[in-house]
Amino acid sequence: MIRGLLSVFVFFSIIFFPWPFTAVLVLISAFFIPSLSLAAGLFADTLYYTPHADFLPLFTLYGALVTIVVLFVRSRLKTGSMRG
Amino acid sequence: MKRTFLSKRNALFASTGISWNVGVLFFALIVLFVRLLMPNLFWIAFTPLFKSANALSAQSHFFLQHFSDAAALASKNEQLMSENASLASENQALSQKISSISAIKDVSTGILAGVVARPPESPYDTIVIAAGSDNGVSVGMEVFGSGGVPVGVVSTITDNFSRATLFSSPNMNTLGWVGRNSMTLSIVGAGAGSMNATVSRSADIVVGDIVFVPGPGMLPIGTVTRVDSDSSSPSVALRIQPILNPFSLSWVLVRDTGMTFSSATSSPL
Repeated sequence: MIRGLLSVFVFFSIIFFPWPFTAVLVLISAFFIPSLSLAAGLFADTLYYTPHADFLPLFTLYGALVTIVVLFVRSRLKTGSMRG
Repeated sequence: MKRTFLSKRNALFASTGISWNVGVLFFALIVLFVRLLMPNLFWIAFTPLFKSANALSAQSHFFLQHFSDAAALASKNEQLMSENASLASENQALSQKISSISAIKDVSTGILAGVVARPPESPYDTIVIAAGSDNGVSVGMEVFGSGGVPVGVVSTITDNFSRATLFSSPNMNTLGWVGRNSMTLSIVGAGAGSMNATVSRSADIVVGDIVFVPGPGMLPIGTVTRVDSDSSSPSVALRIQPILNPFSLSWVLVRDTGMTFSSATSSPL
């Protein structure tokens, strides 16, 4: 449930809220849904990227970078061992 | 026992999160494709959202601007309150000055001077005033306090300052009157703000009688607070307290009354 709300709120935020707020929200929600940062970057570039003005779709690249970092961190955290 | 917890499982493909991970990516890609393949449909679909976003942005900007204005107003209010307190203090000081000056100026014209030092800052029974020869003050001029009460005589002067010897100074000897019959007496300073005098027992002086000195008419300088009598003596000794407390003098009026005092203290400032 929380993943659904976070996803909707992130996409909603990309349109309605200032980008710093969205960036923080994406960073937080990326730990619940790793690909959400990449999807948010894609969505932001879909809305705002202008090929003649910007050299690269930076939101997508930053989103991909965050996704990779979060996946790496999560893999490190979840491959620990428990003694029982 | 050692067991692996979620060993080597990529979170992107975890069973609990795979649907949302794939779902959000799928949604973003769908939107991207719509924009690339059907740009008109894309903008028709998103234009209301952008308009709503603009309206929300304007509203939030207005809302935040309100807080910014409130902060500026609070800062301005604090500044004005500080200025107001300063002005109130200045106003109070000026009002005090005006009341002191008006009480003096009611008597007559003269040289208005602030008291720089008074007992006990100055040598006792003298006051230093901020007016000297440059202001027209000369030795022998009489000094008046609030209400036109004479308090002393200018004894030494410099260019900008003067020292007045109070009538209560031990070396001060002043002619005056006392009682309802205006009995003539010689007032001698006793120091510490008090004065003494000796009059005939038959003058019938009692405690509370007013003591006057010559000025324009008869000017009160003190009251009889005690009458010491000796049955073997034909005179009584009067203890006189000045009407004005020399400790509370702040402004004085200096003017020449033309009166001659028998003696006045004269010492360098």
